[in-house]
Amino acid sequence: MSLFGTTSGFGAGGTGVFGNATTDSHNPMKDVEVTSPPDDSISCLAFSPPTMPGNFLIGGSWANDVRCWEVQDNGQTVPKAQQMHTGPVLDVCWSDDGSKVFTASCDKTAKMWDLNSNQAMQIAQHDGPIKAIHWIKAPNYSCIMTGSWDKTLKFWDTRSPNPMMSLQMPERCYCADVVYPMAVVATADRGLIVYQLENQPSEFRRIDSPLKHQHRCVAIFKDKQNKPTGFALGSIEGRVAIHYINPPNPAKDNFTFKCHRSNGTNTTTPQDIYAVNAISFHPVHGTLATVGSDGRFSFWDKDARTKLKTSEQLDQPITACCFNSNGNIFAYASSYDWSKGHEYYNPQKKNYIFLRNAAEELKPRNKKW
Amino acid sequence: MGRKKKKQMKPWCWYCNRDFDDEKILIQHQKAKHFKCHICHKKLYTGPGLAIHCMQVHKETIDSVPNAIPGRVDIELEIYGMEGIPEKDMQERRRTLEQKSQESQKKKSSNQDDTDDDDDDDDEAGPSVQQVAAVQPQAGYAAPMAQLGMPPVAGVPGMHPGAYQGMPPMMPGVPPMMHGMPPAMHGMPPGMMPMGGMMPPMMPGMPGIPHGMPPHMAPRPGMPHMAQAAAAGVIPSRPALPVAQPAVTKPLFPSAAQAQQSTSGVAASHSTAASSDPPKATFPAYTLPSVSSCSSTSSNPSSGTVAKPPATVATKPATLTTTSATSKLIHPDEDISLEEMKAQLPRYQRLTPRQGQAHVAAPPVVSVGGIMPQQQGMPPQQPGMRHPMHGQYGAPPQGMPSYMPGGMPPYGQGPPMGPPYQGGPPMGMRPPVMSPAGRY
Repeated sequence: MSLFGTTSGFGAGGTGVFGNATTDSHNPMKDVEVTSPPDDSISCLAFSPPTMPGNFLIGGSWANDVRCWEVQDNGQTVPKAQQMHTGPVLDVCWSDDGSKVFTASCDKTAKMWDLNSNQAMQIAQHDGPIKAIHWIKAPNYSCIMTGSWDKTLKFWDTRSPNPMMSLQMPERCYCADVVYPMAVVATADRGLIVYQLENQPSEFRRIDSPLKHQHRCVAIFKDKQNKPTGFALGSIEGRVAIHYINPPNPAKDNFTFKCHRSNGTNTTTPQDIYAVNAISFHPVHGTLATVGSDGRFSFWDKDARTKLKTSEQLDQPITACCFNSNGNIFAYASSYDWSKGHEYYNPQKKNYIFLRNAAEELKPRNKKW
Repeated sequence: MGRKKKKQMKPWCWYCNRDFDDEKILIQHQKAKHFKCHICHKKLYTGPGLAIHCMQVHKETIDSVPNAIPGRVDIELEIYGMEGIPEKDMQERRRTLEQKSQESQKKKSSNQDDTDDDDDDDDEAGPSVQQVAAVQPQAGYAAPMAQLGMPPVAGVPGMHPGAYQGMPPMMPGVPPMMHGMPPAMHGMPPGMMPMGGMMPPMMPGMPGIPHGMPPHMAPRPGMPHMAQAAAAGVIPSRPALPVAQPAVTKPLFPSAAQAQQSTSGVAASHSTAASSDPPKATFPAYTLPSVSSCSSTSSNPSSGTVAKPPATVATKPATLTTTSATSKLIHPDEDISLEEMKAQLPRYQRLTPRQGQAHVAAPPVVSVGGIMPQQQGMPPQQPGMRHPMHGQYGAPPQGMPSYMPGGMPPYGQGPPMGPPYQGGPPMGMRPPVMSPAGRY
């Protein structure tokens, strides 16, 4: 579906709530702005699964809310609904049928939001803020996986107040990703654990981190047969590691690449190294997008080991990103991520979510090697 | 030394006439000194390769090989290590070597491998150069030279302080020493050679030596003592390697340049304070410095980019924010994630009162606080509320005006929403309705 016809006119984007002003650096890429964005930093974005017609975008923010927009084919975004937590929302995910949205918050709970009835109920409880939430759909069970700063990974059948399973982790959960039957969790202190989810979740392997700095985001990628085969791990040091679980030749197949750094060729001034805030894989092409504290997003082809594109610099860090189910839309959120500490926080600064046509820019390069 | 069987002599660089122990080291030297792009510092493999790179990537032409001696600057000659050297030049070199070895034979009475460390050899060592072919040792180095014979480590330090203090310009000669030492010290500043002899063992430590040495080595006559002290001093100073480069970094150890770059990259990443021991130190030889007072002044501009991934070893979380002359991590300095930092702010904690936390500051929570109580009063709208958690869960969702701008087909509104809040479309229409934001 060609989402945005031509490239014209989308500066106007959406319902025109924000008359697109002169393009100051808040939207240098001139992408479509989502209307009514949250009032505080956006922590997570998620598009509806392919099982649902249309594109619905969910965004969780530090304003304790989770908002839902419908993204129409002409690029217009229509705010649809909203739910609240009592603490900042850190992660969201959809159920596989698109009827429910799960939200995880600093208030140590996770909720299930039934979109049809617009009701949300609590389905999980931790001893600390829940940082990651994912829906697991296995042939013989379905559940929610929550990773928390209380160092536990819990699995919940949404019908019961007690977890089906609780796994202890070495450290606080910083990020996770699930592509059945594999789940990867990255923790504080550079911990990295892979779980296998067949029959029931169990720890599969603890991996020595390929990165030397704090882990920040992780995303699983699949092979040509659509089976999860590895993951991309981003750290705060402007670097992403591509790691295969069982590669034929680990030394050659696994690699890391630098990204989100300033002063590429200018070596006279110190290079600024920014954190990679999120990684998303294109559902069709298998290429990936990274967004960082430097306010840029980049597209990469991990098989050709090349960069496909880097955006202009936004005036705020980009904190979250995601692709829609068919890979035509790339959504990214611009808000402050605290990378420069408290001093740089400006509550007056608006937070944005942008949508970009991703059909062309993420096509893989032809392999050169 | 001076084994004649190896390709007629030790590997030597055609471009600058330096000698090396090993062809591998020779190649590293060539890549770093002669085949390195002056624009982007990329190391190529051959002269023509460099020319092509500059043309294609930077659109610049280059007509001579960098750092080559006059007469050996041909960029079109494809030389790699010892391969490709024109036969004519090989013969010329052989002849020169023979000449030099004859000279040194004449000069010293004993064999070149002098390993005594007695003072007896002072007078002998004076005019001659131990382990060095020919080359008139500087008078100043005479004495030290003698001692140098022995503990290579000790010897080196001895040289350095003198060299360093006395003649900074000599430094450039050092690197070559490391590799080529004894035999053909062509082009080596005299006096540097003996150091070269010591170098190999010290190679990684070399740069550090000048730094560490001065304190130990002040008076040369005290050599023997210094030698010992130096040996001790050398080790700890090694880690100071990158630091110790006061601007003579570049020319200093070309072949070690690579190692050095990586090292400085390593050190750079944990430079300054508190660098704890890197768990997977790329250079295990560098036990971490207490010498970290040196902020990495490495003038290696490319270390930030050249350093291979493992080189930017961030050790323990405590030193997460690595700052160096070449790179800076834009991230707060602690072992917690950005979200954890932000979540600690009181403004984000006030809304978790249910747990009985004291963080909740009711006053600031203007509108939200206002809403909460209302919700409490409302009949629980959550048919499905199972958790013992207060009914707040049910309330808030409806509480906040949901965005229902005009028909909301997919998501039913009505009754379940809770009448008081369900302002319906009108409510939802107003973006400003997002009052919760206002509370900040």
